[in-house]
Parts: sequence; C-alpha cells; structure tokens
Amino acid sequence: MPHAVRAEGLEREFKGGIRAVAGVDLEVATGEVYGFLGPNGAGKSTTVRMLTTLLRPTGGAAWVAGHDVVREAAAVRAAIGVALQDAAIDPFMTGRELLRLQSVLHGLRRREGQARAVELLERVGLTDAADRRVGTYSGGMRRRLDLAMALVHEPKVMFLDEPTTGLDPTSRFALWEEVRRLNSEAGTTVFLTTQYLEEADQLAARVAIIDDGRIVADGTPAELKAEIGDPTLTVTLERTGDAVAAEAALVGLGRAMPSGVGRVCLRLPEGAAALPEVVRRLDLAGVAAAGLDIAQPTLDDVFMAKTGRRLEGDAEDAVAAGAEAAAPSSP
Amino acid sequence: MTVGLRQTWALAWRSVTGVARLPQAWFPALFFPLVLMAIFTGSFASAPGGIPGFPPVRSFLDFAIAGAVLQGVLIGGTTAGAAFAQDIEGGFFDRLVASPTSRTSILAGRLGGSVALAIVQALLFIGIALVFGASIENGLPGLLAVLAIGALLAVAAGGLGIFLALRTGSAEAVQGTFPLFLIMLFFSGVFFPRETMDGWFRAVADANPITYVVEGMRKQIVGDAQAGSTLTAIGITAGLAAIALGGCALAFRRRIAGAT
Repeated sequence: MPHAVRAEGLEREFKGGIRAVAGVDLEVATGEVYGFLGPNGAGKSTTVRMLTTLLRPTGGAAWVAGHDVVREAAAVRAAIGVALQDAAIDPFMTGRELLRLQSVLHGLRRREGQARAVELLERVGLTDAADRRVGTYSGGMRRRLDLAMALVHEPKVMFLDEPTTGLDPTSRFALWEEVRRLNSEAGTTVFLTTQYLEEADQLAARVAIIDDGRIVADGTPAELKAEIGDPTLTVTLERTGDAVAAEAALVGLGRAMPSGVGRVCLRLPEGAAALPEVVRRLDLAGVAAAGLDIAQPTLDDVFMAKTGRRLEGDAEDAVAAGAEAAAPSSP
Repeated sequence: MTVGLRQTWALAWRSVTGVARLPQAWFPALFFPLVLMAIFTGSFASAPGGIPGFPPVRSFLDFAIAGAVLQGVLIGGTTAGAAFAQDIEGGFFDRLVASPTSRTSILAGRLGGSVALAIVQALLFIGIALVFGASIENGLPGLLAVLAIGALLAVAAGGLGIFLALRTGSAEAVQGTFPLFLIMLFFSGVFFPRETMDGWFRAVADANPITYVVEGMRKQIVGDAQAGSTLTAIGITAGLAAIALGGCALAFRRRIAGAT
C-alpha cells in the first residue's frame, strides 16, 4: 500500500454555495507524519471530516488505508484512529472506563480491552488518574486520554485535528513526544492538522499549506523554506560606527539587506557553514560584533509568500521558532 | 455476544451511567411525577365517588400510577434526546461514527439505556404507590403489561428526542420541546379520566394518542373500572416507536451527508 491517504480533487460544498474545500489533491505515504497547516476556516477540519467518513464529499474522491472513504467507509473506520478538535470525552466517566468503552466500540474482547486500557494509561502517563472522573482532568490530560482512546485498536492511520490547540507549552511538548513515538515505534501514519507553524515544522516530515479550501504549497518544511530564499545573517555591532567597515568586510558572502542602526544584514546562501568565514573577516577588519544571528525562513514566510498574509496570531510563535534556529556566537 | 451486541450493551451502560451520575438528569424524572401523584392523590382522595363521571376505581392513587409512569417515561425521552444532542455538540457522536460501531448500535445503545431507566423508574413509582396502599388489579401480568407499554413508549419518546437531536444538533433545542410534551400530557387522560371532561377539552383528549396509552396501562391497574384497551396502547406505542425509529434512521443519514 503505497499511500496511507490519497485525495483527488476532493471538494465539499455546503448549503448556500460555500466551498469549504475546493479541490484538494494530496498523497500521504505510509509511515509518514503529514502536517496540514492553515489558518482557522481554511478547510482543514472539513477535509479531515471527509477523510474520516464523518462528512460526505460533494466532489472528488479519497482513499484512506487503501479504502474509498465513501464506498468502503466501514473498512476506513476500522483502520483509522481519530482525535478530533475539542477532545470529546464524558466528564462523568473515568479515564479507564472511557478507554474500555472505546475498545468495545472497536470490537476488542473484554479482557483485551482491560489490558489495553492499562497499557495505554501507562503510556500516556495517566495511570494515577485512571479512576478519576475526566471532569477533574486538565486540558493536557484530556488530550492525552483522547490520543490514547484513538489508539486502542492500533490504527494504521491516525488523524489528529489540532491536537495541541489551547494547550500550555509543557503539555504541547509532551503531546509532540507522544506523536513522534507513535510514528517511530509503531510506524503509524499520522495526518495532523494545525494552525501552529512550529508544530508542523517540528513534527511533520511533509507539510501541505491550505488556504481558502485549496492547497497552496506542499513539500518538506526544508523544501518549502528553500523556495522562499536563503537564511539571513544579522551582525549586531558593538560600535555603531563600524557599519560601513563591516559591510565592506563581508562583500561577496551574500546579498546585503536593509538593516537597522548598529546592525548589518545579508542573505547568506551557505547559511551557518559561512559563519567561520564571517567571523574571520570581521576579525581581520577589526570590527567587534556583539552578536551574530542566522534566521532561517519560517513556514510563516512560506505562507506569506503564497497567500500574502501572515498566519493569524502566530507572529510570536514564528519569532520564537526563528530565535531557536539561530546560532548566536561571538568572536 | 456478537460485536454489535457488545457495542450496544456498552453504549447503553454509558447512557445509564450518564444519567445515574448526574443528579440533574434523573432528579426531575423522579421528582415531578411523584410530587404530582402525591398532590393529586391528597387533593382528590375522594374524587372517585365525588366527581361526576369518574370511573369507580378503588382509590385515586390506583388511578394516578399510570400517569406517573407515563410522565417519567416522557421526561426520560427528553433527557435521552438532550444527552444525544450533547454527544453531537461535544464530539462524542463523531467519535462513534468514525469507529466501526454500526448506526444501529449507536441508536440502540441510547434507546436501550432509556428503556432500562424507564423500567427502573416505573418499578420505583409503582413500589412507592403499593407502599401507600395502592394495588394492581391484574397482579404480576398486569405489572408486566404496564412495564411493556412503558418500555415501548420509552423507545418512542427517546426516538423522538434523538430524532430532534440529529436534526438540530443542539441540546437546548431538544430541551426546548419539553413544554410541548407537557401540553400533550395536560390535554389527555393522564391526570383525569376522559369521562370527566366535555366540550373541546374532551375532543382534544380524544384525539391525543397519549390518552389511549395511559388508559391501556391503567386498565391493568384499575381493572374494568375504566374503559380503554391494553392492546390499543401497545399498538399505539409500537406505532409511535416505529415512526420515531424511521425518523431517526433518515435523520442519521442526512446528518452524515452533511445537509444539516
């Protein structure tokens, strides 16, 4: 089975002629983590609902685990695990009860279900909270339980719709770790939607950017960023007056960019590999640098280039991601 | 057990648990019918002989039991519908539909829970009434007949509630239909016998299927004192249940097609 998920011209039109999904083509290889990135209302959830048999397409076709989502819906349901937005769990039931219920729904025998519940609770770190009502769980605990519930039948393909929306950073990292483990240990294909650039960047081997019901770009995060351009080097000077000398020293390494006072910026095609040369030249010219930063283009830059807009509310995340990727050093 | 049966059983268990663990879900269904039974019995203890046309029943309490059972079942139907709508709102319904659980199991699980609760409730009402001196004319077979009608009505009322839930997807909308149930109850033979009514009120009660359901139940409790037929009641509740289930099946398909 070459493709875990495949869609051809997938469309969904709602009453009133609103086309939430307007012809989506995608291919997710078996064993891949695929990130579906886009702002609110871009059509991410509608696409996932069609792929998980919850909504019938009005055009095109899709196959999940080799089965047609409309004609072989039952086979699709048996093969997939689904954790949708707003973890759907009963506050009045305990984590263990919900896991056991879920295993019955997936046709496991009572014994198997019991054992599986114990195993999954342990795995997502909820053993201590297993017999507490879910109403007392934190947001992160609910998401982890939700993930565990989607795993009872060891699905081949896992759909996660905005799994970390609204979570604090610690819970988010814990969930990412779980998704990575699921993919690397069990070889589960993961189809993940997110509006967080960093999440797509961190987790997904391949990313599709969806806007207004259409895929506007897809590829590995590195490929997408490479389309945008080279990394940017920023030299922060100790003495503002050194700007001209610094620019002169770096000529030939890259294209100079407009920069603020006390800084020199240039596009560096070789990226971090050029840093020793930068340091050597600045040293020779007698320029003292207070800081050197290399910023990679972010997926937000990709989104900007494709749609002319920034991903809503993610400006700070993008900056944070850029800062992490930077290689600050000082001679 | 087959997979389908185990799924249905597990979902019915969840429905019952959901009601049992939430006092706001079971309290009204127990409290209101009991209070009304107590108030009417207190106020009209002498009614059987004192109100012209009142059938010659042994006591008003005997007369009131069937009405209490029926109210409890109808309230339970609304509760089931609202719970189903909450599942839709909260996403549990999506989880079910995206799993290999059949539509039949999804519906039967919720309705099975409703039927179980209706039977427990009916037994409780009847038990309390018996403690206070009521009696069931037809004995154990009579009790079973009352429970059977109650169970069928629970399927009909729960089915209607689920139908509304599937069409609206809103617990508030389902609960909003409750006053209609109350009107159905008031303009029927539930609280007072049709024999004491006249004019348009009588005409409405005559046309109200609830009247025949309650009379059919009551027949088993008060015997031949009152007109009415248990078979008619079973027929009507079975018919209503069939209509409600058909509606649910259509609404289910429509919701998946995404027309709503």
